Amino acid sequence: MNPVLMSVLLIVALGIFTRTMIRKIRLLQALQPAERVNHIAERVKNMLVLAVGQKRLIGRQRERSSGIMHAFIFWGFCVLLIRSIMIYGEAFQHGFTLPLLNEAHLAGYLYTALKDVMEGIVLAMILYAFYRRIVVRPARLHNSFEAYLVLALIGILMVSDLLYDGARYNLTQLYNNPVGIHFFDNPRYGTEFAWTPVSVGAASLISKLGMEANIVIMTIMFWLHICTQLTFLNILPLGKHFHVITALPNVFLKSLGYPHEKPKLLDLEDEAAWEDESLGVNHIHQLDWKQGLDLYTCTECGRCKDVCPAHVTEKPLNLFEFNDHLKHELLANADKIIERSRLAATLAQCSDEAEAEKIRERMATLNSEKQLVGDVIAEDTLWACTTCRACEEVCPVTIEHVPRIVAMRQGQTLMAEAYPRELNPALKGLERNGNPWGIGYDKRADWADGLGVPTMAENPDVDYLFWVGCAGSFDDRSKKVSRAIVTILQKAGVRFAILGTEEKCTGDFARKVGNEMLYQMSAQENIETLNGYGVKKIITACPHCLNTLKHEYPQLGGHYEVTHHSVFIAQLVKSGRIQIKPSLTGALTYHDPCYLGRYNEIFDEPRFLVQAAAKGVYRELDRHGRESFCCGAGGGRMWMEETIGKRINLERAEEIVSCQVGNVAVGCPFCLTMIEDGMKELEKEEEIRTLDIAEIVAESLA
Amino acid sequence: MKILTTVKKVVDVELNIHVQDGAIVEDGLQYVINAWDESGVETAVQLKENHGAETTLVSIGGGDNTDIIRRCYAMGIEKGMHIDDPALEKADAFIYARVLQKVFEKGDYDLVITGKQAQDTDNGQTGIILAEYLGLPCVSNAVGIEVIDDTHLKVTRSGDTGDEIIELELPAVVTVDVSINEPRLPQMRGLMMAKKKPIEKLDLAALGTSAEEIGCAAPKSEVVEFMATEKRAGGRKFEGEAADITAQVVQLLAEEAKVL
Amino acid sequence: MAKILVVADIKQGVLKSSTTELLSKAKDLGAEAAVVAVGSGVQSLVAELVKAGSDTQYVADDAGLELFSAGPYAAAVVDAAKQFGADMVWFGFSESSKAVAPRVAAQLDAACATEITDVTLGEPVEVIRPAITNKVLQRVRINTAQLVAVVRAGAFEADEGITGTENVVQLAAPEPDTKAVVKEVVSDTSGDIDLGDADIVVSVGRGARNEAGVELVHELARDLDAAFGSSRAMVDAGFMPHNKQVGQTGRIVAPSLYMAVGISGAIQHLAGMNGSKVIMAVNKDPEAPIFNVADYGIVGDLFEVVPILREEIKKVRS
Repeated sequence: MNPVLMSVLLIVALGIFTRTMIRKIRLLQALQPAERVNHIAERVKNMLVLAVGQKRLIGRQRERSSGIMHAFIFWGFCVLLIRSIMIYGEAFQHGFTLPLLNEAHLAGYLYTALKDVMEGIVLAMILYAFYRRIVVRPARLHNSFEAYLVLALIGILMVSDLLYDGARYNLTQLYNNPVGIHFFDNPRYGTEFAWTPVSVGAASLISKLGMEANIVIMTIMFWLHICTQLTFLNILPLGKHFHVITALPNVFLKSLGYPHEKPKLLDLEDEAAWEDESLGVNHIHQLDWKQGLDLYTCTECGRCKDVCPAHVTEKPLNLFEFNDHLKHELLANADKIIERSRLAATLAQCSDEAEAEKIRERMATLNSEKQLVGDVIAEDTLWACTTCRACEEVCPVTIEHVPRIVAMRQGQTLMAEAYPRELNPALKGLERNGNPWGIGYDKRADWADGLGVPTMAENPDVDYLFWVGCAGSFDDRSKKVSRAIVTILQKAGVRFAILGTEEKCTGDFARKVGNEMLYQMSAQENIETLNGYGVKKIITACPHCLNTLKHEYPQLGGHYEVTHHSVFIAQLVKSGRIQIKPSLTGALTYHDPCYLGRYNEIFDEPRFLVQAAAKGVYRELDRHGRESFCCGAGGGRMWMEETIGKRINLERAEEIVSCQVGNVAVGCPFCLTMIEDGMKELEKEEEIRTLDIAEIVAESLA
Repeated sequence: MKILTTVKKVVDVELNIHVQDGAIVEDGLQYVINAWDESGVETAVQLKENHGAETTLVSIGGGDNTDIIRRCYAMGIEKGMHIDDPALEKADAFIYARVLQKVFEKGDYDLVITGKQAQDTDNGQTGIILAEYLGLPCVSNAVGIEVIDDTHLKVTRSGDTGDEIIELELPAVVTVDVSINEPRLPQMRGLMMAKKKPIEKLDLAALGTSAEEIGCAAPKSEVVEFMATEKRAGGRKFEGEAADITAQVVQLLAEEAKVL
Repeated sequence: MAKILVVADIKQGVLKSSTTELLSKAKDLGAEAAVVAVGSGVQSLVAELVKAGSDTQYVADDAGLELFSAGPYAAAVVDAAKQFGADMVWFGFSESSKAVAPRVAAQLDAACATEITDVTLGEPVEVIRPAITNKVLQRVRINTAQLVAVVRAGAFEADEGITGTENVVQLAAPEPDTKAVVKEVVSDTSGDIDLGDADIVVSVGRGARNEAGVELVHELARDLDAAFGSSRAMVDAGFMPHNKQVGQTGRIVAPSLYMAVGISGAIQHLAGMNGSKVIMAVNKDPEAPIFNVADYGIVGDLFEVVPILREEIKKVRS
């Protein structure tokens, strides 16, 4: 239509866009490195399923309606991308079409039909989106100006394209094509308008306005569409809609270790790291580029907020705000970060000590003026997290919230030495006696007195090590679970032993509160003991132990086959070594522990066992399986007081009570304590028994 | 203000202590900083942070005390010395006090802070005896310290009738109870720097004294043997209707045990 | 014949029972027993001091001694010890004694033994005392001619039939301590008997849950004229002050009757009270470790049991 105008628009818009993108990319490049370009096949699959397939939006039962809404907007975009090319082409060449998608091919017509229908659907979805934001007002949505603006822009895009085609229809079909509009007209398939019902519908809205009006409308809509699109393109990188560009890469580059991705192993002996305070994340420039990309990609959908146990119980942990605050801090310091990275590169090449010192001094002045924890993110926010990963489970663009929180906690603990002091007794106990209760290590095996359980020292020639864990060794309630497990293993004739007083806390909670020093110390001691005995197979009752032994110890040279007791016992039942007869009276439900369910994807075996032992009916909790609701003890929170908002375990206990059961089964000593405490607080502990899977099975052995 | 604080390496009392043939079974025991001394160290470090005091620690005996002294460095103590000498093997509180007297006289201290007692001896004497030997005022069982000025402290002591508020003139000796503060945990950075800090190692000669002068050959008291305490066994457990069993127990307390 | 000087245990003008207990033991060992009373207005206690079993009463009565101060108190005791020619100086168990005894020992160049449970005269004198936070006992040989000892509460039995003779010796008022001046004493306003003083101790634990529960158990303590103590959990949770914590890092008590209400019986708590003569426990959990050491254990909810306890105790005492 007007190649000069089009060229100018394209050059300006794409020019601005390119410049913006270059700055954004350069900022990411200036952040810390991350290894993400590997296992390409798996990454492509993730991208197809999660991003293209919108799995977390349409696959979740909750929020499905809004999920479908977004899925169609997204698919619509994908389809309409091709359409956009055609429109730009039209500005240069009248009747521009793409090969294979022109009127000679059926594909061209099919595409035309698809595009038309999609535009209609997208428009409908936009209207639905407006309705949700204005009328329904779900709590998780952040109703910003940008949200409405973008919905409006998309709406304009759809309307302008439909009216453009509508005008074309009118002019070619009603007014005898006075300006020589090109349109598909293939004797085999008919005109394109036979395939575009929505555009034809739009046409009918403006047909009465006359030929002149339609010509004007056609021209205006054409340029409106192009200008809106180019404007939209340039708005994208400025706010939450950057995800339109970054979501697919972000999903492609997501952590493959999820859901049990372990923190990076810090080299605590690295003097240089101590010098520039780069152990953990203590400054905004210490984020790695993938974390930066995460910040760009947050869509502000708020699904994380809905499932976060801290947020739901009114703690000051709002993950959208967490992202947002970090993002603004990142962008505000962009120049400094880029400059710092440049200096770092120079420093690496520098061999003159005096010169190096000058560079370091200059780098030190480039730190942000704000304290990352304190000014940008509040302390209470950082420490409220239970590391349950519900947020990561539902995030449609696979943002990695928990590792970032742990990294910041590392920065706080190691570099700033600012962590909740109430953790000290637990940390001290861990260091001195290998358990957070600080009880003498010599009493660790007392629970097993009289049960005939050998220690590895007495009998290293066994098939399995039963890793008891601190709770199972020292907590009176959990000792009963340990004994139940022994009963079952002995009944099945399993050859096993315990480490006894040689066992120490795996160090999980220390790691999750950022204390890499105590974690590595505990882990190294345990690995030395385990490897000394040549341990290969481990059974454990604690999902935190399970997760740490299985997924984190390999970082330090500990490679073991670790099985949760529910999985092991299920195997015993399935192979006939033990039998379960139904004996548990009363209705029953099962609470999926975060570290067993989400982290290690064990959902079925516990259910298999407890249902086999139940006489009464089994009911699922509303929030179960992958979307189970945390008991509140993870992330070191077991050892901290809960002073803000409602208690998380109470929230979960109430949910269990409303399920109207007489028994709730769990598979974790923390969950056992927290839920039982919740029942006591609700004064329901007589009515509703909180039991470990092993206790239920032990009582039901045939 | 220059502070001298004492640190003793003692057995970890979280562990079971077994006695065999009149002696403590050493096998399996681990050793830690005396909890009361830990509070003393924390007190000294807080005075350093809030009032610019200089802090030195002294530890006597115990073999290899390096770990414990380094942890105190990591908490914030600036200098440390370890006094060890074979002659001190049978030291009692008086001998320790004499050694500490020599340490004090060798330096220029305004305040000595010790833990109120050691968790291995349960004695609670050394700090007070040291004050006597030095002719210094002393407040024991302190649960609070405030600085009034360069030469005066306000010390809160937990006494028999309540909290005693005492104005103490320096130089002086204060022994602290654990309730005075929550000792900080040494952090990684401090521990790393502590590795590089020297610990002055001295025997009695280097301290400018001798076994004879200290009186090492003649401790005023000596432990002859250790004995196990009587293990308490459980009695009777009553379950059932609250009204019934409670009445029963009260009867027994009055008539059988005769304690009501 | 050995000469034993007992330091009278006087608190707020009242002569405590340990004085009689220590004097009884002294006489039982065949020693000559004297007593020293230090304070303001203690002259009025002479008759009681005689009845407690002392044959000589050293009295340091001065207005300046009204508030306890270790320096002057120690000086008075040393004065009496020298005048008496004491072989042993015994103190009852209190914070004051623990502050004074080492000073007396240093000034007399005598040995010092804290918290002895037994003493045997002979060549040499030997004492039994606890060590390692009360986990073991030691037999200690005294190598000096003189011994200063602080005696564990309730270690010696009072002889009901004991008497003494009046023989008062006035001591010069000791110099006040000008370098450690006691400005004031902030009393425990709860009106409770001190943990170290009481024959009966009632302690509250986590089973009480909240302020209402704590108050309920406190009422029981008041009914019994008992001292009111706490497990560590309740102190940490802020319901009870630290000086009422019974346990390894708190107070160690050995009353005739210890009532553990809503306390599970963690090892650290047991360390503070398993020297009690009789232990009674109330706990909802039949498997709570406290039942392993309790002579009488009631399995039940303290909110139900404590009111009944109070009723029954009132009945029995009337």
